[in-house]
Amino acid sequence: MTVMDAPRLATTRPLLTAQGLSLRYGSVQALCDVSATVYPGEVLGIVGESGSGKSTFLRCLNLEETPDQGSYTLDLPDVSGNLFELDRFARRMLCATRIGIVYQNPHLGLLMKHSSSGNVAERLLVAGERRFAVLRDKARGALDASEFPLDRMDAPPIELSGGMQQRVQLAKAMALQPALLLLDEPTTGLDVSVQALVLDTLKRLQQEHNITMVIVSHDLGVIRTLADRVVVMRRGAVVEAGLVDQVFQDPQHAYTQQLVHAKL
Amino acid sequence: MTLQSLTRDWEPMAYGFLDASAKREIRRKLLKAIAVPGCQIPYASREVPMARGWGTGGLQVSCTLVTPRTRIKVIDQGADDSVNAASIRSFLARVSGAPTTSDTLEADLIQSRHRIPEERLRADQVLVLQVPNPEPLRPVQPNMSIARQMHADADYGRMWLQLYEQIVRSGRVMQGAAYPSLVNGRHVMTPSPIPRWDVPKLHMAQHLTLLSAGREKRLHAVPPFTRVEPLVFDDVPYRVEDHRDLTCYRSGARGFFMNEIPQADGSSLHEISDSDLGVKVIRRSEGEAVRIGETWYAGEEMP
Amino acid sequence: MAYVATRGGERAIEQSQRLYKAQMGEITPDRVAEIRHALPYLIDRVMGEASLYDEDLAALALAQTGGEMYEAILLLRAWRTTQPRLAVAEPVTQESLFTHRRISAAFKDIPGGQVLGPTLDYAHRILATDVLEGNSHRPDPVKPAETPSPTQQPSVAAWQAANGLLTAVTPDTTMGNDIPDVTREPLLFPAKRAHRLQSLARAETGGVLALGYAAQRGYGQAHPTVNELRLAEAEVMVRHPRGTRFSAGRVKVSQAEVVSDKGAELGLGFAATLGWNEVKVIAAATLDLNAEGAPKGSATEEEFFLYHTEGVESSGFCIHFKLPHYVTFQSALDAMRDAGASARPEDATKEPEPAE
Repeated sequence: MTVMDAPRLATTRPLLTAQGLSLRYGSVQALCDVSATVYPGEVLGIVGESGSGKSTFLRCLNLEETPDQGSYTLDLPDVSGNLFELDRFARRMLCATRIGIVYQNPHLGLLMKHSSSGNVAERLLVAGERRFAVLRDKARGALDASEFPLDRMDAPPIELSGGMQQRVQLAKAMALQPALLLLDEPTTGLDVSVQALVLDTLKRLQQEHNITMVIVSHDLGVIRTLADRVVVMRRGAVVEAGLVDQVFQDPQHAYTQQLVHAKL
Repeated sequence: MTLQSLTRDWEPMAYGFLDASAKREIRRKLLKAIAVPGCQIPYASREVPMARGWGTGGLQVSCTLVTPRTRIKVIDQGADDSVNAASIRSFLARVSGAPTTSDTLEADLIQSRHRIPEERLRADQVLVLQVPNPEPLRPVQPNMSIARQMHADADYGRMWLQLYEQIVRSGRVMQGAAYPSLVNGRHVMTPSPIPRWDVPKLHMAQHLTLLSAGREKRLHAVPPFTRVEPLVFDDVPYRVEDHRDLTCYRSGARGFFMNEIPQADGSSLHEISDSDLGVKVIRRSEGEAVRIGETWYAGEEMP
Repeated sequence: MAYVATRGGERAIEQSQRLYKAQMGEITPDRVAEIRHALPYLIDRVMGEASLYDEDLAALALAQTGGEMYEAILLLRAWRTTQPRLAVAEPVTQESLFTHRRISAAFKDIPGGQVLGPTLDYAHRILATDVLEGNSHRPDPVKPAETPSPTQQPSVAAWQAANGLLTAVTPDTTMGNDIPDVTREPLLFPAKRAHRLQSLARAETGGVLALGYAAQRGYGQAHPTVNELRLAEAEVMVRHPRGTRFSAGRVKVSQAEVVSDKGAELGLGFAATLGWNEVKVIAAATLDLNAEGAPKGSATEEEFFLYHTEGVESSGFCIHFKLPHYVTFQSALDAMRDAGASARPEDATKEPEPAE
């Protein structure tokens, strides 16, 4: 954080409220009574090792999975009720227009053999945009904002480097100015120098547009850079939650202490 | 009651070739198709005495609809005399005893491969189009069951993406024939491999259009007065083939869809694809009193 | 005159048919009987793919088409469409089949024994050219065994199930017109078991073989062992509306069961068809075995192999490319020429258009 940033006070209602999410796969309890709130313009980090349930939680927030129990609400105009109860159609439209997601594996988030601009345009098309010139402009704008080189805007992601692929994902996620941006290990697997660049872009975008984000990572450094508050997960449950600085400087739970001492 | 009265003598062929249970299934599926315009309805699709891929879908629909009084017209690529059309027409006549005609204005039932006649069809006429591939999503999704789910979800993003990329790559939509179209504002259908020229004829038409794919076992329908809108971007208008200024070298007819006939010296002549219309124009020019119906294209642009 | 020329189509097709038929000359009842007698395996293959059991009609179809198999099968399938269905026969169990040939590769010996039956498996494949020099070949008389093999055979899979090696298939008790029928309903995916087995029963032998071979060579997950191969006759039991149960006759059937190791127990693949056709049932059973868990969109997935082994559809579509396509071609040329006017050289790669 720079000196100029004022502390952000929770003066508004939460944008995202997830309460009591539990999910079982056979004998494995993937999520156990997980709750979280995120305020508008805030970045919530979710940290934990693999198997902690953090990615499962994110998939629930993206309505890709439905937990056995729990509710999920977004405080948005013409969106109400527990989103897990929405029908297939409403679910798809909500995800397409109000939520953006960046996956660790670009193959999950992108059509690898279509053009990069096309990937961004598809999002707009699903939301109902029917003007070619607008599609082109907005795709260009979103890619530019994600610091993607415009001379390659029609290259298919399969021909691009990992860092560039993540930028296309980011452009695609941001194209509709979503209310909520979800990121699942967005820089994991990238070269260290590229990681830093992508994180810079994310940081800048977040500040410029005041986007509400939920970012999942096992990397405490990433969480530290981007998040305001953090939730620590272990074996499907939340073990600790609070302001990033607080939790990392003064971890209360034994597991968090382990994590912090191991990584930082 | 005797066995005699309960039964019928064995016949080598049912009326209209298809047995009663086949016709019943097709009728029910056609009604379903009309109730949900543009939605593909799966059907059993029986084998008929013609190879699959040669119009068995259209033939099954025609066999189901035909009565001894139905006036039948059959065309292929717009021509009544093409070998495939001749074969189908003679089969239909043989199994139904119904009369045949080449005059679009006279026909009650028109079975066609890949063209819609140039003269406007009326409310009392039925157009049956032969469909090789009923699935407009196939270029983006070859798996039929996944495509079916996409239609149910109205998930057409990939279809639009393909059109976007064609414009980016080539400056225009490259779809030739079989232009994907939105029916009744809900289902995207293939209008069958008719040229772009013919697709506007389906929009808010007076007649019923039935489309049937025998090999792929799907049929769909466009009821009368139903919207059929080719998928186009608001700012990139739909373009039909550039045939407005072409003249048929045999009949002199101008401004209709033409067949290109390459010449030995490297040039091309053009001949009107709707062959019966071409014949009528010739006969009229020779002094015969022939009825030529109002055409969709008034010889120039679409009204 | 303009429109006399447009009537040429009908004359041309009439003569084209005559040219074809002239090759075969006169088709007599004797010729049909000779084909039926002389070519039983061809008759069986045709009946299986037509899914219509009538040796006389199959022989007639072959005579009429001069042996063009796809044409012969289409004739029989089309015939089937125009005939009414009178009844549905009772289900036939493996154990009740009158079994001519039954072998298992899984065990050296099995209850009921390994019965070779009629086969060329162990023959030397040498052409008997002296027949062409004027000599006849009279087959050597069969020497019967001292004790005849049993007419009915128990199932190997039943023994394996009793020994906990595989889970026995639960018998399906659906009867009569409730049995799903792929000739009366559309085939949707995932397919009903009855639909899959019926489709494989009438599948085109070459197509099934090609895909089954690919699966056996490693494109499929499972390496198959032939549990049982049977060539048999099944009694077609029908019930008269007044209640009398009687046999409408016997039909030749072939069936194959293949198994593979699927962790804790054996997985089972099955296929059967009308007539005797060993290659088809073994290949088809292999496809059935590999279908469970096949990745979506792969060649061993059910949707892939059922669509592409349908002989009447595949051969028809293949030859439909001979039909005039000049209108769609004209449409494509129009788009190409227009785009070509402002073409950029690096846009040479174009997405392949689907076949129409």
